[in-house]
Amino acid sequence: MPKLTIDKREIEVAAGTKVIVAAERLGIVIPRFCYHPALGSVGACRACAVAFLEGPVKGIQMSCMVNAMDGMVVSTTDPEAVDFRRHVIEWLMLHHPHDCPVCDEGGHCLLQDTTIAGGHGLRRYKGTKRTHRDQYLGPLVQHEMNRCIQCYRCARYYQEYTGYRDLGVMGIGSRVYFGRSVPGQLESPFAGNLIDICPTGVYTDKPSRYMGRRWDFQRAPSVCLHCSLGCNVTVSARYRQVVRLEARYNREVNGYFICDRGRYGYAYTNAPDRPRQALAAGRITAMDEAVEHGRSRLRETMARSGSQSVAVIASSRSSLETLATVKQVCRLHPWRGPAVTQTRREAANLQTAVAQLKPEFAVSLGAITAADQVVVLGADPLNESPMLALSLRQAQRQGGQVTVIDPRPVSLPLPFDHQAVHPSRLPAVMDRIITLLGHRLKSTAPPATAIAEPDMAWAEALVRQLAASRRAVIVCGTDITTPDEIGMAAAMAKALRQLDTEAKLFYTLMGANAFTAALTESPDPSIESILEQIESGSVRALLVVEQDLWQCYPDRVRLQAALDRLDLLIVMDHVASPILDRADCVIPTQTLYEAGGHWINQEGRLQNAQAVLKAGEPIAISGQGNHPPRHLSPRISGTEAMTARAAITALVRPEDRPQAEEFDRAMEAAVDAFHPVIISLDPRHIGRQVDSDAVGGTNPVSQTSSRAAAADAGRDTITLLMVDWTLGTEALSSQAVALTESEQNPAARMHPRELEAMGLAHGQTIAITTDKGRIALPLLADDRMAGGVLLIPRHHQLDWQVLGATRLEMDRDRISAGT
Amino acid sequence: MTNDYPQILLKNRKPDRINTLEEYRQNGGYAALRDILARLTPKQVQEKLLDAVLLGRGGAGFPAGKKVVTVADDAPHPRYVVCNADEMEPGTFKDRVFLHAEPHMLLEGMVIAAYSIQADHGIIFIRPEYESAARILEREINLARKAGFLGEHILGSDYCFDIVVHRSGGRYICGEVTAQLNALMGRRPNPKQPPPYATDKGLWELPTLAQNVETLACIPQIIQHGAQWFKDLALTPEAAGTKLFCVSGKVERPGCYELPLGIKLSEIIETCCGGIKNGARFKACLPGGASTGFLTAEHYHIAMDFDSLKKVGNRLGTGAVMVFDHHTCMVAATLNLAEFFARESCGWCTPCREGFPYLRDLLWRIENGTGEADFIPMMRTMCAHMWKSYCAFAPGGVASIESLLHHFEDEVMAHIHDKRCPFK
Repeated sequence: MPKLTIDKREIEVAAGTKVIVAAERLGIVIPRFCYHPALGSVGACRACAVAFLEGPVKGIQMSCMVNAMDGMVVSTTDPEAVDFRRHVIEWLMLHHPHDCPVCDEGGHCLLQDTTIAGGHGLRRYKGTKRTHRDQYLGPLVQHEMNRCIQCYRCARYYQEYTGYRDLGVMGIGSRVYFGRSVPGQLESPFAGNLIDICPTGVYTDKPSRYMGRRWDFQRAPSVCLHCSLGCNVTVSARYRQVVRLEARYNREVNGYFICDRGRYGYAYTNAPDRPRQALAAGRITAMDEAVEHGRSRLRETMARSGSQSVAVIASSRSSLETLATVKQVCRLHPWRGPAVTQTRREAANLQTAVAQLKPEFAVSLGAITAADQVVVLGADPLNESPMLALSLRQAQRQGGQVTVIDPRPVSLPLPFDHQAVHPSRLPAVMDRIITLLGHRLKSTAPPATAIAEPDMAWAEALVRQLAASRRAVIVCGTDITTPDEIGMAAAMAKALRQLDTEAKLFYTLMGANAFTAALTESPDPSIESILEQIESGSVRALLVVEQDLWQCYPDRVRLQAALDRLDLLIVMDHVASPILDRADCVIPTQTLYEAGGHWINQEGRLQNAQAVLKAGEPIAISGQGNHPPRHLSPRISGTEAMTARAAITALVRPEDRPQAEEFDRAMEAAVDAFHPVIISLDPRHIGRQVDSDAVGGTNPVSQTSSRAAAADAGRDTITLLMVDWTLGTEALSSQAVALTESEQNPAARMHPRELEAMGLAHGQTIAITTDKGRIALPLLADDRMAGGVLLIPRHHQLDWQVLGATRLEMDRDRISAGT
Repeated sequence: MTNDYPQILLKNRKPDRINTLEEYRQNGGYAALRDILARLTPKQVQEKLLDAVLLGRGGAGFPAGKKVVTVADDAPHPRYVVCNADEMEPGTFKDRVFLHAEPHMLLEGMVIAAYSIQADHGIIFIRPEYESAARILEREINLARKAGFLGEHILGSDYCFDIVVHRSGGRYICGEVTAQLNALMGRRPNPKQPPPYATDKGLWELPTLAQNVETLACIPQIIQHGAQWFKDLALTPEAAGTKLFCVSGKVERPGCYELPLGIKLSEIIETCCGGIKNGARFKACLPGGASTGFLTAEHYHIAMDFDSLKKVGNRLGTGAVMVFDHHTCMVAATLNLAEFFARESCGWCTPCREGFPYLRDLLWRIENGTGEADFIPMMRTMCAHMWKSYCAFAPGGVASIESLLHHFEDEVMAHIHDKRCPFK
């Protein structure tokens, strides 16, 4: 461990630490532009120059380029170094437009701070400024090239870190230009990070342009809701609306970055059609009246049909507090539910994943970057959990190998092996890999390929790689898969452990708080089973808490029929949905940004989101375009919205005092009583992994289901998979206008062989008809995917729910040319 | 020819065409290659290069022998030899003259250098303006291959090595070796600070030996005649070999001359080039291209070799002598050079990217009568700071400006004082 002296203070740092980092440890922040911890050192900007007075390196050197070594004596205040840094800032400012007053970066600009700190106050350069043309880079990122100081962070981030090529550096000398060869939308779904990484205002947040300065905003730490990874964000709000999200550093989760779905998905919280008024029997009422209406109707139903005639549906986007309350309410009455997952398959997948994820196997998103072998099973990282793709890229850049076994045309910004395996064959393929690993352990020769697989040589090669690896990670999705594969992913990790590989397991789940949902659900979970109970008449009243059934339930025909049978439908939510029109009682709730709360990500990490702003209609809406608003009223629409937790409590609180007191105690204890794995929401437990060993051994894996499906998957049938896309499918973020401008239009995909056999053409519109319904959409040929599979995105522009299932075996004649 | 010194590289230079393969062989060409393949181990070839004190002729003067020995015996394959023919240093045209005279001497030198590190592939990275030379090389590489001097099993030995010609995208920075390797790999030609060094991890992380045309061309002669003979060619004891000097500017007979290292500057100008043009007086010269400082009349008789110039704080560079007479405005001359460096900076690091346009602006103002006395200390400080740039481009580029302020401060001040250029 080298020991060095910086500004007369000694510090010991790990070998390989750069001097700039060692100084930071002492609280000395040396100016820097090109250096960024995620991108490393390149020595381009020369702003971090310091004087090396003694030791193995002498003279003025860049502190980002020199490793700390024993005996170094470093001065950051050496007159020559200070004068050089002052010159560097003067050089950087030669062509800068000094447009801070109209620049969105102003106030939190590294260039602004460094210029002022460096003492460059007077302009000496008398020459003209070189200017550039800005480019249109899409609806998310605003380009203002004249502000550029050529630190190369953007080009390095975009090309090296994220692996996309459509933005980079062009030209030489003082004419270097950072942008695209032609103006156009940025291709990377991680492009929003350019805004965070740019040390000045070349890339700024387009949707929040001119909305305010950093100090104008209400800002608070939060988490992202748009997939299960739980990336950390900082939320900015102003005038009762969320205006901007930024990545919040968390070494274990998202590092310095987030994806664009997470960055811009917040728009639902400001949406003009967001439910802000309570409704009772279709009529706008005050909140307490609506609650009272719901209470009395609930009591009627219970009096008539018993408490078991009431069912509760919640969602995996709600906070732990909400889910704990829902669970407690169901337990007290007792009511049916809560159900969180849509279908039995989703429920079984979730329960299996959470039960299998033992703490010693869990690995964080951040730690995946250190893996030397990653096998991705039944998961499409870029589309399902975008930041996972970025972690995989870092693993690959550090020498790791990535293998994806998935029927979809998986695309990742990195070199990887893809085995497009039909979903029905996934268990057999995994079984084969586990068997081969077992034989490696026993050093026996594996039996001949047991499955009808023309070429399984790749599996043997993969097993050889895995057996030789030191840190392998098995990634497994829970969307298109079945409990079989999810259980086998764990078995694969266990088999690797026996081969002395530090194997880890990484499941992606469906929804931000899916892990908590797994701890919430009743023994017979899933919305599907609740609907069955409605159909059988045993459930007469339904309480839906923050679950957009219209958008998310995969069988809309059945859903509508079931809802029609109900005596009572109470909906609590903050997202507009046609379901609200059917409800007897609508109680608006607060969003994450207003209520805060706790979320557990797919790895079992308990995380806290703070409330950022108070609920209420944004001034932009209530002011009807006037600023300041001229519509004066003592009442602000939407401020009555309660947290879901408070709304449920109000709805079911008994009236007579002794009972009410007991009820209050029970509700206060809801979080403590929620589940043994949640010790407490004490800040000391935030960010730590919950002890999922205590989740229990319930393993609802059905060993036969998909095997039977495999047998069914003959030549005549095709497997329909409804899949996630990076943009356009996730229910909340697909409401964001900025993102809908960026998303691709929905299209089905099949292997070109299938198209040929069925006489269909690439680009042609096809109609798909199931027992439930029919949709039409364009069809694309994609030779990177498995044969025998039809992929349809769960796209918000598409009524995919009418087909009735997210994974379905169907006859090929159900697909036809048509509109 | 206007000099009586031994001619090694340009001995058979013809006014209108190259020395053909046949002619080259008749004059002893490819004998050195045959000799080493039959007799010498790679290590022995390396030792010969070390003994000959062959200093790199591309500008930096790094010993070629020391470079080859840094390729480890057990280094991975394929290994590369890159011949730097990206001659873009202003005033330098020796490689062009040489390639139009003796292409096979270069090819033979490349194969011998390659053999010494057991390289597998050779690349000649050539300036795109040198299209005729590139075509000559491509044609002659084919002929050499057919004659068995290149390709599989060279001259029946076990050794295989082949050469391709790669045309540069055409920027000055591509002549910098690390930038050149980036360019060859299809990347942006930004320099890359070592370590790792190219001989350790160069092209595609594999050992790569990069040498200038003239350096490689000297190798067959060293093998053939021995290190001592090579050292004896020079006029000063520390130097070794001849040098292709490119003389331009205000002399009667500008051109490319092969002269012994250590020859006096005055002798080059007067004996070889017929003296200063139109009877004018010698004012200054750049001894080794645009990246060296001005040599004034004080050093008119200096010995032109690497060490002697280093002793007076200057560099031999590429041996491109640009001569200025007493009618020349040194501010205008320096401004012209600053224009070049401002245009050709790769844009990677701040001091170089922004410093040169800044200095150009100040020089332009001085030359055009709006200069201020403050500019002089400003330029001095800025030039000193530009030595802290990422690569050697900026220190080379400020050499002329620093020496302008050192030797011709009075002339600069005259511009500022008179608010005009005294030479106009």
